[in-house]
Amino acid sequence: MEIAYPVGLVVVAAAIIIGFTALVREKDDLHRILLTDLAEILALVLIALVATDLAEALILPGLVVGISELMAISEVYITKEGLRAPAGPAFRIEVMDSAPGILALILVAYGIVLSGFTGGVIAAVGVVFYFMCRGHAERFELIETVSGYAWAFWIGAFFIFMFLPGYWFFAVMIAGGAILIKVMAKMSLVGTMRGGGPDV
Amino acid sequence: MTPEFVLGCIILIVGVIAAGFPRPMTYLGRLISLEIPAFGLLLIMLAYDEMLALLTFIGVTAISTFVLVRVIERKEAVE
Repeated sequence: MEIAYPVGLVVVAAAIIIGFTALVREKDDLHRILLTDLAEILALVLIALVATDLAEALILPGLVVGISELMAISEVYITKEGLRAPAGPAFRIEVMDSAPGILALILVAYGIVLSGFTGGVIAAVGVVFYFMCRGHAERFELIETVSGYAWAFWIGAFFIFMFLPGYWFFAVMIAGGAILIKVMAKMSLVGTMRGGGPDV
Repeated sequence: MTPEFVLGCIILIVGVIAAGFPRPMTYLGRLISLEIPAFGLLLIMLAYDEMLALLTFIGVTAISTFVLVRVIERKEAVE
């Protein structure tokens, strides 16, 4: 541990220098967006080297900020360049016809077992994959409503932590379940970005 | 200095070079090269037993790959 931290820092410093050299020399905007993803990975390595629970607590918001930043930048880029969805038939992949049901089921079930933020992300990947492959015709107002109530439950759990600390396990269960639903509902919207639904 | 940590550091450096200066300068090639430093990060997290961060990173990477592929798909359709 005593040797690993300075060694890790030197490695990350070298990687950051290489990565940002590539970023400075790059002229194409889309290539720059891809290199932003690389910079995010390097920042996460820097946090991971702390090697305590603090590192885990810092990596989770780092990932959320990273994904939302990436989505925002890509949307801005698409709007700026005036890019349209490619016309013509989408390519057919056999796995995308047969796998979605069972794969989404496994991922969602595992996500519920994990619970909390991590479980929400894992379950959301299953839902995103299902939406991507099968198309979507859901009522998104309903999903948004459920997400809003989950948010309220999450806040409520924190009030239990503050005012009734004896019931901490009950509060942990509520917070874990609520943040699972919240993250899953929000991230599942990504699956509709490909289009094909009535409202996109 | 566990073996996972050493391997993770090596893969990280190799991956940063591969993603920073990909040989055929295509979008898809660079996107695939980005998986290499991500794997180095996963190994470093594994060395420190950061299980939650590791699983969340895998999940978020799947979504971010989807977002990037969507942009690249549209960009290549124009060219």
